[in-house]
Amino acid sequence: MAFPLPRGITPPEISFLAEMEMVTVLPRQRLDGLELLGGSLPTLLPPRRTTLPLWLALLLKRQRRANILPPPWLHPESLELILEIETQNDEYQHAFSPPPPLPGQPTLAHRDRDRDRAVAAPVPRYTPDGDKYYPTPPFLPQNVARDHIPPGEPPALPFHWLEVGTMLLDAASDDLVEPDQTRRLLKELREVRTAKIRSGVEVLDAAAVGGGGVALTGVGAMEVGEGRGFIAGVVDGLRRIGASKEQARREELAEEMANGGYDASQDYEDDMEF
Amino acid sequence: MSYYDIDAILTDAQKLPCTFELDVPGLGVLEGNPGENIKAGTRIDLPLWLGEMLSIGARLGTSRLVTLDIPSALSERVMNAFKADPRTVDLRSLAPHFYSLSERILELFEEEEMVEILSNTFKKRAAEIADHAHNPQGALGQGADFLRGLDETERQLFRVAHDSAKQTRIWAGETKKK
Repeated sequence: MAFPLPRGITPPEISFLAEMEMVTVLPRQRLDGLELLGGSLPTLLPPRRTTLPLWLALLLKRQRRANILPPPWLHPESLELILEIETQNDEYQHAFSPPPPLPGQPTLAHRDRDRDRAVAAPVPRYTPDGDKYYPTPPFLPQNVARDHIPPGEPPALPFHWLEVGTMLLDAASDDLVEPDQTRRLLKELREVRTAKIRSGVEVLDAAAVGGGGVALTGVGAMEVGEGRGFIAGVVDGLRRIGASKEQARREELAEEMANGGYDASQDYEDDMEF
Repeated sequence: MSYYDIDAILTDAQKLPCTFELDVPGLGVLEGNPGENIKAGTRIDLPLWLGEMLSIGARLGTSRLVTLDIPSALSERVMNAFKADPRTVDLRSLAPHFYSLSERILELFEEEEMVEILSNTFKKRAAEIADHAHNPQGALGQGADFLRGLDETERQLFRVAHDSAKQTRIWAGETKKK
C-alpha cells in the first residue's frame, strides 16, 4: 500500500505497449533496412508498401518521410458499423462487440451461415530456433492496411484500438479518411463501452462467488487498464464479506465427503483445504 | 490483511459489547475503577482484539470469560436500513472501518442473512461510487452527502476509480496534468 505507484499499468505504459503493433506505411524516401533486437526491418523503397512497428511509423511520419495507411477498422464506415453493433444489437446489449477472429477461428458471419464447413487451419510460424508456434493477438497484424477484405468478415476492434486510434489521429490525421468524423466515432464508442463496464459492477458478486461473471470478450487494453483497480477492489471486497459463508460451505462439503459421499473429487478438495 | 496494515490495526481497536460470565479480580480498570473486581454479568465495550481473545475459552472447551454481542453498527436496525436502501446509510458514522469490522464479526458469528445483506449493500454502493468517481463534479455537487458516508474500504475504492479515470483522461489529452 505504501508503494507510490498504482497497481497495474498506467495509461502511458499501455500506449507504449501499443506502439509494438504493426502498421502499413507508404514510404516517401529510401531507407536502408535496420537490424533491431526485435527483428530486422525491411529496406524502405518509395512506392512499395511496408509493414513497420507503430513507433517507427509515427517517427517517420513526423519527419515527413512516410505516410501511414490506416487499418481497415479505423474508417468512419467501419466504426459506424461497430457502434451500431454496440448500441443497437440486442445480443451485445451487455457485451462488447466481437474482437477480430483468431486465425483458424470462424468469423461471426461464417458461424451463422455454414456451421459445418471446416475452417482453414491456422498457418504456423517458426521461431529462429525452428520451434513451431501460432501467433496470438499482440503479435497478429490486426492494424495493417488490407486491400481485400473477405466478404462476411465484419470490422472488429483490435485489442489496442483506443491507443492506436488516438495515436494515429494525433500524428497522422491527414492520412485518415475524415479524421473529424473518426475522432467523434472513437469518442462515442469509448463512452458506450465505458458505460457497459460500469453496468457490469452490478453482476460482479456472481464473479466473486464463482459461476457468474462479466463478459469481457473484446475488451480493449486501455479499458482493462482503466477498470482494473476498481473492479479488482469490488471483487476483493465481496470476497472478504462472503469469506465466512464460503468457509462454512467448504466445511459442509468436507463433512459430506467424510461421511462417505462421492470421492471422485476428493483429491481436488484436499488441495482446496487450508 | 497484513501485520503493518494500518486499517487492520484500526479495525482491531473498534469496540465490541461484551458480557462477563465470571468474576474477575482486579480487572476493574476496564470499567473505570482500578483496583476493583469485575462482577459476572457486567457489560463493557471492549476493543475487538481483547474481546476476541477473552471469548476464546469457548472454543477450548473451558468456560468462557466473556460472551460477545453484535456491535450496534451491525444491529437489526441497521440491517433493515440496508434492506430499504443501501445508498442512504451513513456508514462512516456507524463505524469508520465498517466492512473490515463486519468481516471480523462474520468470522465470529454465523449470520448467513447478514452476509447476503452486506454483499448486496457493498455492490449497490460500489456502483454508486463508480458513478461519482467518474463524474468530476461528484465531490462538490449533490453526491457530497453520500461520499461523506463512505467507510475506509469504500474510500479506497473511490480513490482508485477516480485516479484511473483521471489518468486515462490525462493520457487522452482531455485534461491537463497537474
